Amino acid sequence: MNEGGAGGPVVAPRRRILPAHASIGLGVAVLAGAAMTVAPAALDTYTVNILVRSFVYAATALTVDILWGYCGILTFGQAAFFGVGAYAAGIAFTYVGFSPQTAILALLAGLALSAAVAAIVGWISFFHGASPLYVAIVTLALPIIVVQLLYSGGTFTGSSSGLVGYSTFDLSVEAWFAITGVGLVVLTVVAWFFVNSDFGRVLVAIRENEQRCTYLGINTSLLKILLMVAMAMVAAVAGYAYAGYTVVVAPEIASFVFGTELVMWVALGGRGTLIGPVVGTVAIDLTSAYLSGNLPFVWKLIVGTIFVLVIVMLPQGLLPVIAAAARRLQRYLPRRTARSSALPVSLVPAASLVRQAFGSDAPALQIIGLDRRFAGLRVLEGLSFTALGGQLLSIVGPNGAGKTTLMRCLSDGFERSGGSVAVFGNDIAGYPPHRVARFGIGRSFQTTSLFETLTVAQCLRLARFRLDHTAMWSRSAQLALPDGAMRVLAATGLDRHLADESRSLSHGMKRALELAMVLAQDPKVLLLDEPTAGLSRSERTLIGRVLVDLSRREGLCILLIEHDLDFVRDISTRIIVLHQGKVLLDGSVEDVVKSDLVRSIYAGKVLQPAPRVAS
Amino acid sequence: MTSAALSIRDVSSGYGEAIVVRHVTLGVAPGEIFALLGKNGMGKTTLLKTALGLLAARTGRIGMFGNDVTGLPAYLIARRGIAYSPQEQTLFQDLTVEDNLRLGLRDDRRVAAEIDRVGQYFPIILERRRQRAGTLSGGEQKMLIVSRALMAAPRLMLIDEISEGLQPSMVERLTDVLRAERTRTGAAIVVVEQNVPFALSIADRYAVLKLGEIADSGDAADPSAWQRIQDHLSV
Amino acid sequence: MIPFVLDIITTAAILFAVASGLLIVLGVLKIVNFAHGAFLTMGGYSALLITQLGWSAWAAYPAAFVSGFLAGALVEHFVIRPLYERPLDAILATWGLGIIIGQLITIVFGREIRFVQTPIAGAASVLGETYSLYRLFLIGAALVVGGGIAALLGLTRLGLEARAVIMNEELARALGINSSFVRLVTFCLGAGLASLAGALITPLSSVDPGMGVPWLVNAFMLVLVSSVSLVSLAAAAIVLGGAQVVVSTFVSPVLGGLTIVVLAALLLRIRPQGFAHE
Repeated sequence: MNEGGAGGPVVAPRRRILPAHASIGLGVAVLAGAAMTVAPAALDTYTVNILVRSFVYAATALTVDILWGYCGILTFGQAAFFGVGAYAAGIAFTYVGFSPQTAILALLAGLALSAAVAAIVGWISFFHGASPLYVAIVTLALPIIVVQLLYSGGTFTGSSSGLVGYSTFDLSVEAWFAITGVGLVVLTVVAWFFVNSDFGRVLVAIRENEQRCTYLGINTSLLKILLMVAMAMVAAVAGYAYAGYTVVVAPEIASFVFGTELVMWVALGGRGTLIGPVVGTVAIDLTSAYLSGNLPFVWKLIVGTIFVLVIVMLPQGLLPVIAAAARRLQRYLPRRTARSSALPVSLVPAASLVRQAFGSDAPALQIIGLDRRFAGLRVLEGLSFTALGGQLLSIVGPNGAGKTTLMRCLSDGFERSGGSVAVFGNDIAGYPPHRVARFGIGRSFQTTSLFETLTVAQCLRLARFRLDHTAMWSRSAQLALPDGAMRVLAATGLDRHLADESRSLSHGMKRALELAMVLAQDPKVLLLDEPTAGLSRSERTLIGRVLVDLSRREGLCILLIEHDLDFVRDISTRIIVLHQGKVLLDGSVEDVVKSDLVRSIYAGKVLQPAPRVAS
Repeated sequence: MTSAALSIRDVSSGYGEAIVVRHVTLGVAPGEIFALLGKNGMGKTTLLKTALGLLAARTGRIGMFGNDVTGLPAYLIARRGIAYSPQEQTLFQDLTVEDNLRLGLRDDRRVAAEIDRVGQYFPIILERRRQRAGTLSGGEQKMLIVSRALMAAPRLMLIDEISEGLQPSMVERLTDVLRAERTRTGAAIVVVEQNVPFALSIADRYAVLKLGEIADSGDAADPSAWQRIQDHLSV
Repeated sequence: MIPFVLDIITTAAILFAVASGLLIVLGVLKIVNFAHGAFLTMGGYSALLITQLGWSAWAAYPAAFVSGFLAGALVEHFVIRPLYERPLDAILATWGLGIIIGQLITIVFGREIRFVQTPIAGAASVLGETYSLYRLFLIGAALVVGGGIAALLGLTRLGLEARAVIMNEELARALGINSSFVRLVTFCLGAGLASLAGALITPLSSVDPGMGVPWLVNAFMLVLVSSVSLVSLAAAAIVLGGAQVVVSTFVSPVLGGLTIVVLAALLLRIRPQGFAHE
């Protein structure tokens, strides 16, 4: 594996790489699976009984971890889908009887229904500007609604007592144990590949900074809806198995009490670790079964207390604490060759987007009468200007002049109150940021809250999500980047840090990564908000040269907000001065520097200061 | 700790990874008017927020009137007679003018008397006392901000970009009000400004911040100060 | 017809009383208190305790408020304050607390459904129709609660400071307001109100450890739909509470119980500010 270095990108053969530790993990999984088939012989019947149920719960908890731990969607609603799958089986077997055909139809019905409900819930909850609080409340309401519908179903759904004693699969307890146990292991392995793949990193990115993702052209709402549908179907299968095994379906299994229990198990086991919730659920459920016979309420009290303590003091859950302790113990074990879990990635040049895709004659940016009103204040008023490719246009002005607001209005169709913005002739209308990005706009942000746990390479790959295929079950060993991004990486030395987590980078490197990510999208219009904030003099010069290069050689249209007026003077071809939401002056660097009007805004009047009066 | 109104010694601070203020040292004597100048983004507001305790100082110490206030929560510093007028989000837009003034003084019993006193400076504020602050014009809002800051007869005032967007006549009025208050109570005043003539006309001493560090400082009355400052600030 | 209209008004009054505590906590602390239902239940059991002790049923209300207030202080200090920067975790932690409180109540009082003595029995004659006197009393109680909060917010220094913290906490701190203290008092008040609401509603039905939960979600939806405005809350209570009564009466009581949740979710999807005017 070669890493792309300063010598230029090397084309490596397209290979799929498994994440590190995969071989060990697979070995453990195979052992676990095998254990499932023989364990019942060693355990008493009561335990085996409980464990079958625990395995099914653990599978459902896994879906909660993927949604919440990995993607950041706090949901109490997985119980509803579990219930849908269970009742599909219960109702089918009760009224149609049991047969292979019924079994398959019931399963398909459960899958279809849960997918449909999940799609609706997703559509309601995930939209541009939705708050995570709203999502949590909707997912809390969902099981309540489902349970009420079950109650009101009368004798058909069995109302509060549910459906009992229908004919079901003819399997022994040991067989059920093997099926659910192996099923859980397989599910965990598959899930593990999924969350560790390149696509899994996208989910994590959504959790860490969803807004940033939308500006990279990623339709996060759609992804979340699809994820919710997929996880709903998995939960429905788990419910189906539960119904087949216990021969009882009652509204409690679809209730939000169960839904919140799932969240608790995930939180205690360790959200975002996959193994933690699975093991944690089995452990807690098994212990509950044993203890709750003797002290039912005290046990729930204890679990509740531990849960609150964990949230307050150990938000990562118990598994990471155990893992950290295990790592400390590992120091006393004989060392093996250290293997980096980060994957070496090689950079390859990306095919540049065909220019004809964008209107060829229309200007890069055309803004007419742009207005932005907010709480009675006119932040931007009647702004009009046109920007062409090859221009490096700096936007300057005192604080509160509306510069960042302008950037927002250019990249997000929702923002403005009036006027129109067109990119290469395409009106951005009311489109959300990810659609505007597709017209060729790349926007960088002032604050460097990137994606903390993602490596540099993963961040860049995220920026390519819209353009390149993203592996869902593995990690690609190659990363295709356009010329501009490559040059930024080479010029700033970031190409030697591809495997480093972005939170470990210095401030200057983070700004460089931010710029590289924007360029990775292969934009035709760059909107840069204070790209050199907090950088040293040499770093500024470097960025400046890159920007000039990009506008001259690649013909990018660059809009720049900057406070460092020396920087602006050195690199710009055109300056627009904003003042109180209006264009004060629009001209060349010469025009602006010589303008008395501008000086009077920035450095006070050109005249001598008023004589000082004795006070 | 000296008995300076404000003593900033080797203070650095910033946001997240970005260090905006780098090892700044300056002092403001009681009764002195001090101008903090510099272009946008150079750290003036950050320094003021750090002094007030809204932002944590990563290095150095901050003293006020002989007491070390480094690390104290902002509300305790404010209660020591320090008045702050921020650059953005300066008023409670949905509260009335009167309520905004009330919040400038903790002792409710004295509010009525102090409002009358402060109303002498800007009578229009008294006229509008029952209106929502958000309905006032830009200039009137600035008057309200200054009035609020004067409510508690502070020993130290930290004023961030008050002259921005004001007409020259208003700026003159402001100058008179601040000077009058300083004469009356001996308050020290720190003005952060981009409007250099206003700043120099009102201040006794000044300092220029550039990239988070003090690039120049001296007496405001010094004839060469104007030129030096222009060089630092020019486009 | 009259009982129907009165049903709507009394339902709205109850919803308002239940949700008001949640609203002020959301406004000042910017978090949703999932333990609200548990405080409600605590209030119900305070009333039960008063009944068991044989005291006057009117003592239930102050008893409930005080016990909620004190419990709120403990919760704010040990659970809410450490989670200042993590609002979603605060929701989870308060949910866990709800479970803890629920289990404690179950351990002490047992799981059975109990009944509480009502301070006002019987019915009154309203425009020719008879109607439960206690329900009419609840309208007055809701008005007192709403009026009390409005007075506290509008007329006292603490209320002014709370409003300042709601609008701009940093500016409030810069003006010398101890926002931590404001948050503490607000939470205690919110918990006390929840508890009081619990004591107010138990004479209508019964007391059991899970009584708070159905109110929890309805109260949330109402609060979300009202942004941070008491007036909007009252409006939401009337509109959504009215819808609930309509559906319960003309369609089915079970679906009626879902009306608020479904309508609020849809309303927020279309207009995220809900009933608030901006």
